[in-house]
Amino acid sequence: MDDIILDVRDISKIYMQGKIPVNALHDVTFYVKKGEFVSIMGPSGSGKSTLMGIVGCLEKPTAGKVIIDGIEVTSVSDGQLPRIRREKIGFVFQHYNLLNSLTALGNVELAMRFSKVSRQERVERAETLLKKLGLGDRLNHRPTELSGGEQQRVSIARAMANWPAIILADEPTGEVDSKTRDAIVETFKLLKSRGQTIIVVTHDPDVAKHCDRVLRIVDGTVVDSD
Amino acid sequence: MFDIIIRSATQRKVRSGLTVSGIALGIFALVVMGAMSENFNQTFENSMSLTSDKIRVFAESGMFGGGLTDDKVPDVKRVPGVKDAYGILLTTFDEDQMGMSGKQIFALPPEKSRIALDPVKLKAGRFLEPGDTYQILVGTSIAGEYDLQIGSKLEIHDKNFTVIGILEYTGSFFDSTAAIPLETAQDIYNLEHSLSTIFAVPEEGIDSDILAKRIELNVKGTSTLSPRELQEQASQSLLIFSVITISSALLAAIIGGLSVMNTMLMSVTERTREFGILRAMGAETKDILLITLGEAALLGIIGGLLGIGIGSAAVYLINLWLAGKGIILFAITQRLLVVALLFATVIGTISGLYPAYRATKMSPMEALRYG
Repeated sequence: MDDIILDVRDISKIYMQGKIPVNALHDVTFYVKKGEFVSIMGPSGSGKSTLMGIVGCLEKPTAGKVIIDGIEVTSVSDGQLPRIRREKIGFVFQHYNLLNSLTALGNVELAMRFSKVSRQERVERAETLLKKLGLGDRLNHRPTELSGGEQQRVSIARAMANWPAIILADEPTGEVDSKTRDAIVETFKLLKSRGQTIIVVTHDPDVAKHCDRVLRIVDGTVVDSD
Repeated sequence: MFDIIIRSATQRKVRSGLTVSGIALGIFALVVMGAMSENFNQTFENSMSLTSDKIRVFAESGMFGGGLTDDKVPDVKRVPGVKDAYGILLTTFDEDQMGMSGKQIFALPPEKSRIALDPVKLKAGRFLEPGDTYQILVGTSIAGEYDLQIGSKLEIHDKNFTVIGILEYTGSFFDSTAAIPLETAQDIYNLEHSLSTIFAVPEEGIDSDILAKRIELNVKGTSTLSPRELQEQASQSLLIFSVITISSALLAAIIGGLSVMNTMLMSVTERTREFGILRAMGAETKDILLITLGEAALLGIIGGLLGIGIGSAAVYLINLWLAGKGIILFAITQRLLVVALLFATVIGTISGLYPAYRATKMSPMEALRYG
């Protein structure tokens, strides 16, 4: 099992809504191998985003274990989580979440600042990534000057910046047209062909059909994996 | 990280501008009030250093109580340890302004003018000499205000005096002093034999505190102030003055600080999602703190520099205007500028602490869902 990069075991997450406990996830168990392109599908409110948050070390589960690249991230202290997020996870969000005050290059470069990468290397790496994703002529454009597809590609470049173990994409095609969606999927396939592990949360079967595996989640638990 | 801080502060130009103005206003008040306090301190310190060797002898009823007369001077002079003694009469120079300008008439025996004013040097002319009556020696501020040269006439209490000497600038009360012969002053003010103070010059090696007590014991109806006691008394008065002026300015600056806190709280709320993104990218608590506190400190520093600039300019212009009247009201000192800038930075940073704390306490997941 050396090739398993993400191991999720018996995850539960209970939120308190006022005084009422809400069972967002229960007994979620699955794994993802290195270099796999996996999608997580499920209806709204099924717990997909909560699962992404836990796998992305943005929040902790109520019970269970998450092991990323050999590290049991659910047992490390809060102070160590930022380093794990920097080194192991690259996020791609539905709303791109780029900083409007920065250029495309600045947004990608920003991700490496917290990893103490030198300025020269940050700029070189950001330029290379953006050029590989077809944004060589958009380096100095701000997000407001880019199309939805371009913004999402900047977001993907940013996720790639620290060479993470896993890219976690939350509805990355949720706000784009079909042409742009296909371009984004092609980008993920390109990254997969280079050995990158990608997990995509999506509603869209046209995205899921390109994945190696699809995990279906209903009412807070994984019901199917194919 | 500095570029992120600057970009964040400049992104909301109007709000940042208003916040900086609030701080600048507070620091402006601090600089102006502080400069006034510094001027008083400087004038006092210079005056002290020029008269620190002499013991002041007053009537027991106090300086303004009357009762000190010429006949006490020989009594003081006879006290063992007293090298010399002379009486002086102090009165206001500009009676129509009730002495508000700070200028004073310093009436003294002409033969003592050199000792009484020592170590102040002459810029032009000579000191008073025995036989002088309606001759006058003036400080630089009075000479400047009335455009006086040697030989010029100056009217004091309806009498014409001839300027025979102009003192060098000292930065002390001597600059606003006009010295005339004691007997002339007693005559024109109808204060025959009256004195305000007797100055006693101690012999070399004599402890002035002990000598002051000895004078009190030997010369009935007198009280004394040794140089040390005078320094202590005046320092207390100066301290009270400084506390009143500086604390009113501090209040203004703290109000400026509250505007920074308000701005930063709004900024942190607006940037909730941004902080979530940064946390998702691996930003640590210290990075978020640095960005938030850095912005608050930057607003403080810019406000401080602006306040110092405008305050210094205002003080310079007022001094320039008052110089024509022979008054210097403000003194900008290096320590005042350093304190003002430090205060602006500290108040900006402290005001950013709570907003920064709130920013670091946000759950990354909730921050990403915000807005």
